[in-house]
Amino acid sequence: MTVGLNAFILVAGLLFAIGLLGVILRKNTLIIYMSLELMLNAVNLALVAFSRYNGTMDGNLFVFFIITVAAAEVALGLAIIVALFRLRQTVMVDQLTALSR
Amino acid sequence: MGNLDTNSLFLLTAIIAPLLAGVVLLLGARFSPTTMRAIAVFGFAWPLIIGLLLYSRFDPSLIGAYNFELCLPTGLESIGIYLHLGLNGISMPLFLLAGTVGLAAGLYAMYSKAERPHLYLALLLFMLGGLMGTFASIDVFFFYFFHEFALIPTFLMIGMWGGVGRRGAAIEMTIYLTLGALLSLLGLIALYVQSGADSFSLIELRNYLSAQPLSDTVQNNIFALLLFGFGILVSLFPFHSWAPKGYAVAPTGAAMLHAGVLKKFGLYGLLQIAAPLLPAGADHWFPWIVWLALGNIIFIGLVTLAQKDLKMMLGYSSVMHMGYAFLGLACFSVIGAGGALLLMVAHGLSVALLFMLSTCIYHRSQTFDLSEMGGLATKAPVLAAFFVAGSMASIGLPGFGNFWGEFTIFAALAETELTRWIVVPAATGIIISAIYGLRAVANIFFGQPKAAFVERLQSDQITDLQAFEKLSAGILIAALVLTGIFPRVFSDDANRELLELYPQQQSHLPVIHSAVLSTDVDTHKELTH
Amino acid sequence: MNKLLIEFLSGYTATNQWAAILPEIMMGVLALCLLAAEMVLPKNRQAWVPRLAIWGQVLILMIAFGFVGRCSIGEFQYFSGLITQTDVTQIMRGFFLVSSIAVCYLGHIYLSKQTLPQTEFYALVLIISAGMMLLVQSTHFVMLFVALETVTVAFYVLVAYSRTSQFSLEAGLKYLILGALSSGILLFGIVLLYGIAGNPELLGASRDSLNYGELMNFVILNMNNMIVKIGALLVIAGVCFKIGAVPFQIWVPDVYQGAPTPVTAYLAVASKAAGFIVLIELVRGPFFGLQDFLVPVLSVIAAATILFGNIAAVAQRNVKRLMGLSGIAHAGYLLLGVIAVMRGVDWAVYAVIFYLVTYLLASFAVFGVMSIAAGEEDANQELDHYESFARKRPFLGGVLACGLGSLAGIPPLGGFIGKLFLFVAAFQAELYGLLIIAIVGVVISIYYYFGWIRECYFSSSSTAVVKDISCGATSSDRFLLGALTVASIVIGILPAALPIIR
Repeated sequence: MTVGLNAFILVAGLLFAIGLLGVILRKNTLIIYMSLELMLNAVNLALVAFSRYNGTMDGNLFVFFIITVAAAEVALGLAIIVALFRLRQTVMVDQLTALSR
Repeated sequence: MGNLDTNSLFLLTAIIAPLLAGVVLLLGARFSPTTMRAIAVFGFAWPLIIGLLLYSRFDPSLIGAYNFELCLPTGLESIGIYLHLGLNGISMPLFLLAGTVGLAAGLYAMYSKAERPHLYLALLLFMLGGLMGTFASIDVFFFYFFHEFALIPTFLMIGMWGGVGRRGAAIEMTIYLTLGALLSLLGLIALYVQSGADSFSLIELRNYLSAQPLSDTVQNNIFALLLFGFGILVSLFPFHSWAPKGYAVAPTGAAMLHAGVLKKFGLYGLLQIAAPLLPAGADHWFPWIVWLALGNIIFIGLVTLAQKDLKMMLGYSSVMHMGYAFLGLACFSVIGAGGALLLMVAHGLSVALLFMLSTCIYHRSQTFDLSEMGGLATKAPVLAAFFVAGSMASIGLPGFGNFWGEFTIFAALAETELTRWIVVPAATGIIISAIYGLRAVANIFFGQPKAAFVERLQSDQITDLQAFEKLSAGILIAALVLTGIFPRVFSDDANRELLELYPQQQSHLPVIHSAVLSTDVDTHKELTH
Repeated sequence: MNKLLIEFLSGYTATNQWAAILPEIMMGVLALCLLAAEMVLPKNRQAWVPRLAIWGQVLILMIAFGFVGRCSIGEFQYFSGLITQTDVTQIMRGFFLVSSIAVCYLGHIYLSKQTLPQTEFYALVLIISAGMMLLVQSTHFVMLFVALETVTVAFYVLVAYSRTSQFSLEAGLKYLILGALSSGILLFGIVLLYGIAGNPELLGASRDSLNYGELMNFVILNMNNMIVKIGALLVIAGVCFKIGAVPFQIWVPDVYQGAPTPVTAYLAVASKAAGFIVLIELVRGPFFGLQDFLVPVLSVIAAATILFGNIAAVAQRNVKRLMGLSGIAHAGYLLLGVIAVMRGVDWAVYAVIFYLVTYLLASFAVFGVMSIAAGEEDANQELDHYESFARKRPFLGGVLACGLGSLAGIPPLGGFIGKLFLFVAAFQAELYGLLIIAIVGVVISIYYYFGWIRECYFSSSSTAVVKDISCGATSSDRFLLGALTVASIVIGILPAALPIIR
């Protein structure tokens, strides 16, 4: 049995939507990061699927770039979270409101 | 285009000299007062000298074209903009007006003991430079550019040297004026794009639009932009609230130049650009303007009557008199436009004179409250005489230019059946302005002062006008009387130009009749249709 | 077999002309040199690092401008279509270099007041500049993504650079979350386009479907395809995040306030400029066929952006947030130019660039004054701090007034000419409704820009103010700020001085 392209894209779309909702709805910064990763991995899944079905290699190649960038982003993000936690003792976004008004 | 002769270069120097003097003053904060004054006098006087020189060399045979044309590229050629300067019969009087009021305001400002005088004079000079540029521009973009350029010093001067409430007034005025200016800019861009002339030059626009006029809808829309844009700048009735407040707090020099000259920009724009280029739009909108202009005359007239503060009264009265100019324009005829032009010049002189004298009064009375003052004529007879002259001019008595302006406008209104009724409310306005004008004179100079003021009167603090005050007031009064006795110094040239641009109705007016009669009536009819 | 492979590869490498991206390479090398210099130089010579950064860039700028002279006409593709150089990209390379030089200088002012590591700041600024130079040249989505992320990730660091300030860190966190979100959205759009354009069953499908040119042909043939539309919309949304257009503007005020002032300036000027050039390249390239669909979308975005930015800025007392919100409004005006490009007014590209240049001059003048005037905590700069500012520091007051006047679009300053070009272009594209909204926006903006000038110049109290010399501008500050101001004025009076629009 072969799984069709549509199934892959559907899963990728679902993952992307879950990630997007997570970013918007969750308050804990760490979970927001995980949701961001989920979005990027949804993209990766879609890329690989398209690459396979279209018979071009560009998509597979692109995935490596995305993985690298995602790693850089997360490394930075965690560093910022740690520094912020040291100052404020919290990582909840609804308590990080020094910059409003 | 224009050939580079000496006259054109002179015209250019009339704009550059004040700007240059301003920059020098700005950089030279440590100049001695004498040096500073010498530079300032040069900057203030040069435009008028050039204006008079060019007036004497003005070639009236160049109808429909411009004298002293000069055309320089500045880097905006790709969208058809050149620094294109020149004067015609309509802009010449206003150019001279700007020079005259500029010199008077400058002379007054030099001795007015303002804080940081070099900055004050520099800003005034920038304003003057902008004004000269505005009226000397053939390119409608630069016409706008110079106006905006003159507006910024006004804002700064009101904010830095203004009276009580200046912060709010400065912002309100700037926002209103920017709105007006941007609407008119949009209108000018619309002219550029829609006409297909690919040029901002008024000459090119005229040629293009007379060859292939725009459709009525397009004309109506563009004219609306220009009308309301310019209207706000001239304090047309519902958009006037910035003017009295702004003038009440503005320092004298700024008030003189703004109320006297800069405000005429909008009317000039309608007169020279909007109405001739977009006749169908003018036809469509001018009937509506009559109502707003009457609002200016009657409504603001009554508001003026209620003022207790001398400067507020002057501010409102200057708004009120703009109504007459709008009425003149709204006739959309040679006579009406000519009357509006005469009134613009005369009103500019008289309102500048009155603003200056009101400050002179304040220096002596320490109050602007009309009910507190009185009996000043005994101590300051010359001031009283000048102020009475200014008030008379502003009311529109014969002998001053304002009379001819208002008279011509009435004549234009009375010419057609449709507009004849307007003469009645408009004339009512004259009565209103006579009431408040004479009441102000009586309150200030004659009658019984309040107790506190009596003490001031009896002390020796109150002197008559000083030499510099007499000089600047004298310049303005001389110009007023000149336009009152010989209005033809302007009106002949203006009339020739207006005949080219406006549809005419037959006329037998003392001021402009000769040229009208000498021209074939049939050709006029063609132009009307 | 081996021979075949080499032949195959050499087909690709034929266009790999490394000399074409020499300025970018030099920027990268200079960044590394700075890091090395910090280790090599003795403690008392560390002041050479910023000097090296600034003068090194000036040198690169001179070399890069040699490039402008050499290939200012025509279009050159390199690296198998990853990079395309046109006159637009050449101008923008100069633009980014100038702005990173200015940011390095402002950074120098900022860092001298703080106890923070120095060298990394300059190195990151240089890398961002190189990234943006590549970004505007990229004509391939992989290239676009990599360059964009180089810029964005480095910006995360710079925004959170002040490790001891909770404002800076919070701003960094917010920028990171929303930046990564926008990257994700952009990527998903790219993937959809890649997948659909590579589908062999569709007309015009391409083997190289991440390439702008190939994609353009495909989109023109399939302009009603739903997935194409969604993909394009997601990509546009991702770019709109970067330029701070409504409804993707939420990060702007917070990040602008929290970031160190030089970084705010960098974000406001260079990052936004890069976003706009990318947007223009996208709508002229791959999305050329989608005009009927995208013009209304972008028009709504532009109108909302102008109104939101201006109205929100009116009530703002914090000047950094004010600059951020007014920056949103400027993005709205610039979108007018982008839409004009889409409607076929080709020279509007240059109008946008001209506007960006005047915006650069004015913004750096204002941010420069803010950097000098800032106190210990850089994020809290209120309007009240500027009361009687012009009396205390006449020179800085004058620079600020000219900068704000130019941003407000007042003649005879450059910003006015910039707006004029944009408005004329918009008129030619018949965007009447948007023009009226833009006019309303400009009028509103007068209120807050002039309100700031009013705060500086019109002291409400008549008490005499002593000239404050304590932390005034040094002579090099004066030189830089004076040069920016004079440039603004000269461009306003003689636009020919900026030969972008011919």
